[in-house]
Amino acid sequence: MGRVATKDSTPSRPRSSAKTQAQKRLAGQRALAAAGGNRSSRRRRLFITLSPIVAVVVVVAVLIGARLGSASGSPASGQSVTPASAAVVGEVTAVPATVLNTVGAGSVTTLPTAITGTPLTAANGQPQILYVGAEYCPYCAAERWGVVVALSRFGTFANLGATASSPSDVYPSTATFTFHGASYTSSQLAFSAVETQSNQVVNGSYTPLDTLSAADQALMTKYDPSGGIPFIDIGGKFLISGASYSPAVLQGKTQAQIAAALTDPTSAIAKAIDGTANVITAAVCASTGNQPASVCTAPGVVAAAARLP
Amino acid sequence: MATVAETSARRDGRVGYGSLAVALAGLAISAYLTVEHYTASTLLACPESATINCQKVTTSQWSHIGPVPVAVLGLGYFLAMTALCTPPAWRHPTLDRVRLVAAGAGVVSAVYLVWIELFRVGAICLWCTAVHVCTLALLATVLWTTSARRP
Repeated sequence: MGRVATKDSTPSRPRSSAKTQAQKRLAGQRALAAAGGNRSSRRRRLFITLSPIVAVVVVVAVLIGARLGSASGSPASGQSVTPASAAVVGEVTAVPATVLNTVGAGSVTTLPTAITGTPLTAANGQPQILYVGAEYCPYCAAERWGVVVALSRFGTFANLGATASSPSDVYPSTATFTFHGASYTSSQLAFSAVETQSNQVVNGSYTPLDTLSAADQALMTKYDPSGGIPFIDIGGKFLISGASYSPAVLQGKTQAQIAAALTDPTSAIAKAIDGTANVITAAVCASTGNQPASVCTAPGVVAAAARLP
Repeated sequence: MATVAETSARRDGRVGYGSLAVALAGLAISAYLTVEHYTASTLLACPESATINCQKVTTSQWSHIGPVPVAVLGLGYFLAMTALCTPPAWRHPTLDRVRLVAAGAGVVSAVYLVWIELFRVGAICLWCTAVHVCTLALLATVLWTTSARRP
């Protein structure tokens, strides 16, 4: 009995301890199982999350690889410059005032910005319009139409060339003029045009044409540090950077078709080009003291002037 | 002491906030691109080179889908996703499918726009790329949070 009693009484603590240890072991196993389950769940979630992301990254990488593989590495040459036909020049430089007045600001999407500083003048004291562009540039191609229509109200162009923007850029082969080799005379203002590059490719790049003077370069650096073209400084009072309308309007059209459309105020081409011309005219009038009055007070110009900043 | 489930829920909650943060970032960039679209492209602070040219992309003929500018579509998308990723919206499991489909549609649209940039415009817009990254990150955060609710 004594031994039994001893056996029964003294091991009561070890049995309790063993029970506690078993409970701890069980809790540990449960925690391990929970942690294992948590890790498994986390792996599953990572798989669900990352699979589509990796797939998208692979697709984009394939697209970039395909683009790099298909890129020729250099642009293609565009249409060589030829003298603009007399018929086209005649239509563009003499758009009827009734049409211009009907169009007003037309479908111009990007208006000139007002700039402050020293007025831009030529050596003879006349207000100066500085144009900087390039023959390959599709936005310059679109903007030249409006420039020619507008400045023809103040003076006369000579030796305008016919060409097109690069066939390998956006809005490929947009029909246009070139100011390289052209001249302009006016009793109201001076026009200085710089076509920095042609649309002809030699050794992988467009051949250089005109060189920017240090003063012109300084103006571009001041007002358009990114170097975007076309860049048009209108008498130091207004700045046009980029096209005033989308060159998409001119896609697939020949010079003759574009010129012919300018006399139809309901056409998309007239709304874009004649509208741009009225806006440019209004900006120029701010430098010429609203002279000539017949131009600067025309209803189309007045309507465009109301849109200027 | 927090249980594993509670800890996991708190973690999930943080990821839910992550999706909201990504949606807000996308919303901010889309708003900037929309403002730029309706003001003047010269406001767009973007470096210009042969391959990186924001103005070339945002003024291209593919910058509209029908009459609606892509920038405005992006703004509308991130507005909707911001609403779907707020904590009250996350508390409605019925919105899980809507969120997933919307996030997936956003990524598909982004891949399409990358294709347009590479093969049609021939230039990359950095701000647009930032929006595309936000779209992908949004899908990741939505998937991560939603997968925690499913067995």
